Amino acid sequence: MERVWKLPAIYLTILLALLLVTGCAAEQVVEEELPVVEEVVETGTLAFTANGEEFIREGFVCKDGWELSFDHAYVTLTSISAFQTDPPFETEMGWEFEDLVQVRIDLAGVHTVDLAAPDADPAVVGEAASVPVGRYNAIYWEMVRASDGPSEGFVVLLVGTAEKDGETINFSLGLDREVSYLGGEYVGDERKGILQAGGSADVEMTFHFDHLFGDFDEDPGDEINLEALGFGPLAALAVDGALEVSLSDLETKLAEGDYALLLAVMTHLAHVGEGHALAAFME
Amino acid sequence: MKKTKHRVVLLSMIILIGGLILLLSPVGVSAHGVDIAAVPVKAVEVIALYDSGQPMVGGQVAIYAPDEPLEPWLTGTCDEEGRFIFRPDYSRPGLWEIQVRLAGHGDLIRFEVTAAEEAVADGPGGLSLLQKIVMALVVAWGAVGTAFYFSRRNS
Repeated sequence: MERVWKLPAIYLTILLALLLVTGCAAEQVVEEELPVVEEVVETGTLAFTANGEEFIREGFVCKDGWELSFDHAYVTLTSISAFQTDPPFETEMGWEFEDLVQVRIDLAGVHTVDLAAPDADPAVVGEAASVPVGRYNAIYWEMVRASDGPSEGFVVLLVGTAEKDGETINFSLGLDREVSYLGGEYVGDERKGILQAGGSADVEMTFHFDHLFGDFDEDPGDEINLEALGFGPLAALAVDGALEVSLSDLETKLAEGDYALLLAVMTHLAHVGEGHALAAFME
Repeated sequence: MKKTKHRVVLLSMIILIGGLILLLSPVGVSAHGVDIAAVPVKAVEVIALYDSGQPMVGGQVAIYAPDEPLEPWLTGTCDEEGRFIFRPDYSRPGLWEIQVRLAGHGDLIRFEVTAAEEAVADGPGGLSLLQKIVMALVVAWGAVGTAFYFSRRNS
């Protein structure tokens, strides 16, 4: 062999040797058996909470200028379940989402909580210990009539005082139509439902009572006010500064349009934080 | 003849070293002044509207990366048309989340960043066409120069 070809020949030999060595090494990696790893399910504590927000705890001025304060805001909840879904549940997916569910945690029992209590920020409805970690990105619950207690017969009972232009009305408003709700991941100024090993997280059922009464601080043409009943139509039914009324009573006492508004409010009263929830009357 | 041989070897070394310097240097770096580049990037545009179709002017935006869901990766505010534009970190593939809230209303949406998008965003290997050409020339010239060196020494 001429010497001029020696160096390229050496380069080629080294290159082939390197290729052989790396090729064999790669093959060995593929042939290695993977170690058997036992799956360990990490757990934490999941709390189920309900929140009427500051509107109900501190009171507010509704769209028609009535200043509302609440002594009690009872809601009765049951069939509460939190889910981990893949992909994450969004309300656009509708009610049929069982195929997405990876983990389901149920809270047994019927629970009545007072959202107007000062410490209901939020109110703890119940807890589930030693549940799998992960992201609880969907929650289902039913709002049902209480079978006993202070709000017996009602799914929601609001007890409080309304004041406007020197007039005071002590009111008790009971809603008695049962509704089921399904919401997605919490939307708000903090993250909720993300459970890490050994930790705790909460999933929240949020109730927006400004949807019922409207908000004086918002524009009268704002959607929140256009779709709200306000307190004026209820005030008109008060006798001697007192109003004790149920949804069933209001069907005949309110104007047809106002009653329709009130029914519609029950379907967008509940949220998950600020995220809307699906709603359906149960009867 | 000996001078020619040395020139060939010297020229080979100069090209080799020059090529290596060019290869190892970042593209577009200059020694002085300001270097401004306008490079099209793949960005995400958020458009936040109320159900009524009105834009969520001033909507508070929080972006969450898939591997850090508890803390916002980026926060910002929607403009007068309810828009907010950002470029996600394509090196963090997975489901990104966008939350927009304003005055008690809000929603959360998701979009996926894939590993393929990461590769496109970063470019294949990071070598420019010029660098590849120079690299090929350097290798070729090195081989030719080496061959010349040995052939001349034999003769």
